[in-house]
Amino acid sequence: MSSEVSSDNPIYGPFFGVMGAASAIIFSALGAAYGTAKSGTGIAAMSVMRPELIMKSIIPVVMAGIIAIYGLVVAVLIAGALEEPSKYTLYKGFIHLGAGLAVGFSGLAAGFAIGIVGDAGVRGTAQQPRLFVGMILILIFAEVLGLYGLIVAIYLYTK
Amino acid sequence: MTNKNKKGNGGSGVNGNGGSSKLAKQRSQDSQDYSSFKTVLFYCLLIVFLPVITFFLMKGFVLDRFFSMSEMKVNIASAVGAVVSLHLALGLYIYRAYFGAPGSGSKKLD
Repeated sequence: MSSEVSSDNPIYGPFFGVMGAASAIIFSALGAAYGTAKSGTGIAAMSVMRPELIMKSIIPVVMAGIIAIYGLVVAVLIAGALEEPSKYTLYKGFIHLGAGLAVGFSGLAAGFAIGIVGDAGVRGTAQQPRLFVGMILILIFAEVLGLYGLIVAIYLYTK
Repeated sequence: MTNKNKKGNGGSGVNGNGGSSKLAKQRSQDSQDYSSFKTVLFYCLLIVFLPVITFFLMKGFVLDRFFSMSEMKVNIASAVGAVVSLHLALGLYIYRAYFGAPGSGSKKLD
């Protein structure tokens, strides 16, 4: 195997792909965890007085969970394309690292946004129910940031 | 808590009627909580598992059906399918939370 290793297929080529797959799920999960925890504190504070609003207030938590699924999809795609160094060019490794970082950091940013908006939005909805539509719209715009990362990652993956 | 209510009710006797209505109210509240919990659990499981199942089903199914498709295209198709199904489930949940939620409307009137 070592005889087939050239400058295009170095032994460390798959390292970049593996790091791409790992960073896709690690950073997405980090963002999703922050979003869940931050909006979870808001839900816990709000539910003491308005327990009937639980169904509406779970939405930020669900949206934060979806961020992690974006990372999971890209990580599974990259992990499926990994091969041993002789069949895996360095270029492919860079592409996969870029795809993983794209979805990972976008997910991190979207998770932070969902957490902060979810916390404030859920507390506000308890006092003024008409805020709910606004909260959902802001959450969707935060969620779309993660989706943009997913689109770029899939586009990179097809290169 | 329910047990304590019952005990107080038996001891005083005078406001037994009020106590039993309180108990019934608590019971209806419990069943309402349970039904809303069931709904939330159903949608959460749907949102978590639907995309994963869609991804692997599409991967296996599309690979079988259109064998001429390259591995890359099958992967992309199943990833896009998983994300689309995920958003459909999320849309259903938001729709249900916004328009459905029969519990919250009647609760507010009380």
